[in-house]
Amino acid sequence: MSAGDGSDATPPLLETKLHAPRRRRELVERPRLTARLAEQRLPSLTLVSAPAGFGKTTLLADAFTSTEREGVQTAWLSLDAGDNDPTVFWSYVVAALQKLEPDTGNRALSLLRASQPLESVVASLLNDLGDLPGETVLVLDDYHVIESAELHETMTFLVEHLPPQVHLVLGSRADPPLPLARLRARGDLLEVRAADLRFTADEAAAYFNDAMGLHLKANDVDALEARTEGWIAALQLAALSMQGRDDPSGFIAGFAGDDRFVVDYLAEEVLERQPGELRTFLLETSILDRFTGPLCDAVTGGRGGKATLERLDRANMFLVALDDRRLWYRYHHLFADVLRARLWDGQPERVDELHRRASAWYEAAGDPPEAIAHAMAGHDVERAAELIELAARFMFQTRQEATARRWLMALPDELFPARPVLSIAMVGALMVSGEIAGVETLLQGIERWLDPVANAATPIVFDHREFASLPAQVEVYRAALALIAGDIQATIDHASRALELAEPSDHLRQGSAAALVGLAQWTTGDLESASRRYTESIASLTAAGHISDVLGCSIALADIQITQGRLGEAMRTYQAGLDLAAAHGVVRGTADMHVGLTEVLLERNELGAAMQHLDGSTQLGEQAGLPQHPYRWRVALAGIRQAEGDLAAALDLLSEAEGVYNTDMSPPVRPVVAVKARALLAAGDLAAARRWVTECGLGPDDDLSYRHEYEHISLARVLMAMPNGGPEGRPVDDAIRLLTRLLAAADQGQRAGSAIEILIVLALAHQARGNVEAAEAALEQALARAEPEGYIRLFADEMQTLSPLLRATSTNGVAGDYAQLVLAAASVAPVETGHPIREARPGIDELSERELDVLRLLRSDLSGPEIARELLISLNTMRTHTKNIYMKLGVNNRREAVTRAAALGL
Amino acid sequence: MTTHQVSSYGPSVTTENPTPNTAPEPPVADHDPGSQYEIRVAGHLAPRWSAWFDGLTVAAGHDGTTVIRGPVADQAALHGLIQKLRDMGITLIALTQIPGEPT
Repeated sequence: MSAGDGSDATPPLLETKLHAPRRRRELVERPRLTARLAEQRLPSLTLVSAPAGFGKTTLLADAFTSTEREGVQTAWLSLDAGDNDPTVFWSYVVAALQKLEPDTGNRALSLLRASQPLESVVASLLNDLGDLPGETVLVLDDYHVIESAELHETMTFLVEHLPPQVHLVLGSRADPPLPLARLRARGDLLEVRAADLRFTADEAAAYFNDAMGLHLKANDVDALEARTEGWIAALQLAALSMQGRDDPSGFIAGFAGDDRFVVDYLAEEVLERQPGELRTFLLETSILDRFTGPLCDAVTGGRGGKATLERLDRANMFLVALDDRRLWYRYHHLFADVLRARLWDGQPERVDELHRRASAWYEAAGDPPEAIAHAMAGHDVERAAELIELAARFMFQTRQEATARRWLMALPDELFPARPVLSIAMVGALMVSGEIAGVETLLQGIERWLDPVANAATPIVFDHREFASLPAQVEVYRAALALIAGDIQATIDHASRALELAEPSDHLRQGSAAALVGLAQWTTGDLESASRRYTESIASLTAAGHISDVLGCSIALADIQITQGRLGEAMRTYQAGLDLAAAHGVVRGTADMHVGLTEVLLERNELGAAMQHLDGSTQLGEQAGLPQHPYRWRVALAGIRQAEGDLAAALDLLSEAEGVYNTDMSPPVRPVVAVKARALLAAGDLAAARRWVTECGLGPDDDLSYRHEYEHISLARVLMAMPNGGPEGRPVDDAIRLLTRLLAAADQGQRAGSAIEILIVLALAHQARGNVEAAEAALEQALARAEPEGYIRLFADEMQTLSPLLRATSTNGVAGDYAQLVLAAASVAPVETGHPIREARPGIDELSERELDVLRLLRSDLSGPEIARELLISLNTMRTHTKNIYMKLGVNNRREAVTRAAALGL
Repeated sequence: MTTHQVSSYGPSVTTENPTPNTAPEPPVADHDPGSQYEIRVAGHLAPRWSAWFDGLTVAAGHDGTTVIRGPVADQAALHGLIQKLRDMGITLIALTQIPGEPT
């Protein structure tokens, strides 16, 4: 899905986690256990809980992936410590499920990316799970690595709301903190525990004699089984110890009569029988989590590591092959534990040295993360700092800031003052995660090194290119800090200074600074300057290879161009972004380019092409979208539905968009609530539109600003729809006054796109007022301005009230011809563009599972917050559900909803 | 670093990734006296395991059990120790906090 070639691709998911481990050759089958798991009626939760070395993973792999089960599909996820981050965890869960059904959980992913509450993410996933066609099993192995209380809570929620055809299976070394007692009492829990997993005497006999070819006597097998208590790991070690011995019975007698911890005794037996250099090899390589021949050589200082590994593999020396070509291995961890314990007991000072050798090997092999991990493990923090400094630029470029942050946080504070480039990397890591608290101190420390007078000492620097860019980079960060603080002038000042300080060839700094200046100018309404700056920024960032950032800037630039009335230019901006992305694999931001094209094509009424691009964005998946993507996708589709006449669907989508609204530092010049207010008007829901007016606190006599222009236009529309006469006076007059002022402001600010819309609304207002001449004049202006760029929907969306005016205009000149064109376009019956792939939601008249849950509780006398608590969802989520329920049932309040639901038999 | 990296792009990573095979730190010498623990496990462990258990003393008894004993920095360290025992498949028998003793 993503390119691993150093371009701006998102880091790929590790495929290996999504597959059950390969079966080891010599393991016996355990039909009595697999049969138990193969029972047809699996409960919601199956738990395989036992300490390490009991064969849990093997059993799960055998029972669920190796055997062909009729009509059952299995998704697999091997968990590790990094999955304690809820975003990572649920992304992997969705990825595992998508191997079975490709679109499962797409909406959950977009909610996750928009930092929505986890309950809503899981609720959405549960909806999709409910749509799965057949019996589905989700296996999560090594669940004991999960320590996050938040994750346990959401897992509890998941387990308790699983649809009947979905079954969860957990493998764990400890009982997870899930409601096991409750499930057990309901008969909804299947457990396989250590007592079940222990080898029986028969199974042990089969293992030793058949699988390992040992030919032991029955009482010897019994003695072994008693001593090891059927613990598989111990049996394996025992089998290894006995291979090639003349007197297995003697060995077993000695073993059975000894009190030592089983693994320790057996491992020692195995180790003792190895030649000295092989023993050293085992001990020294035990510090590695995974290893290959050359790495072993580097660590042990020997040669022939590859041959040694192959020998160990053939001798079943607790090696696990990690790939098909048998290049990479790891030790069975129990064996590795014993090895490590011996190493540290015998030669503790050697351990650091071994880690440093591993670090050096990984650095030469071009694997900074492993090199850094081993440098840290070897307590060589200075070397780790050097490696991190050298890797930082690449990590930021490939959007792996979270990892870079983790590394930097692990370094001792004392290292940073002397290392300005390391410090600036820390500044970057902090700012990306929004923690600006320590940034000022770091920046001041860096600035001291840049002061030519002050320094007797020299700083410690490894990345000299970044060092040369420090003066400009510091100003860029100061500009960003000013932006966060809302100080627009300071933002412009610092960013302009950065532009002066940066070398012309320093494309990254040139691009970053230009974008910041552009953003500041956009916020103040200086669109022409902003547009120029963003264009510069795009060129520089392209040269710097920061493709995702280019696409982010493209969104801003196109937004500005559309406001300026330059649809054609906006199209070209988005298309250029797409073309650039195409050369770099699927890059974050590609989906946004498609959605942008959708919006422009929609305005030009090319609905088929618009839908194609929207589908294109959907197919790329969530990884390809920047933070604004989830809400923009929904607003775009809502526009298409509205063009097709399906206002209910449009409102549904806009409500969803509200939930994921995120402008990612761009000025919020088109808030979704205002878009929704217009759709509510079009649907005839004046009451709801008026509620928006009250909430947004805007009035017709406000001072005008670019920031609130869209909202004021929306306000004018609502005013026009309000009845005249009575206590509110004549709102239509207020509307006309407001619109006239808005038009003047838009013309002065060169916002030609806004002006066209204002003119249309003005025409409608005059018409409502009865001033036909003024109405026709306004409309003619609008048409004349709209014609060069091909605006259609601005007119077509008003066709009910606008068509008589349009027809009146069609007699004269350019405006007249264009009016004809618009009328023709709007009169063509809208062709159903079909449902995009993602829209697997139930039809508008059906309530979803979650909504039914809420509806059931609406019947009770629980309050809203109590219902939310009962369902383990946030209050906001519950409100969204009730809004949707009311809409789908066509009611206005709870009492009506309950009555109507009862009437419908829900 | 551009404007579009300034905002929070997603939840920041807050978990520490344990590096399980770092050489253990020696036990801290000066402790408040209440944080000595004694853990009894099944089976005999040789004294050489002391290094693996952060320097705590490891003493096998005549009843087929072993006592691991010594200062533990805090609850998190105690749970880490118990998890190490768990992951090695060692059976826990008893856990006791020992009142302060002269070191």
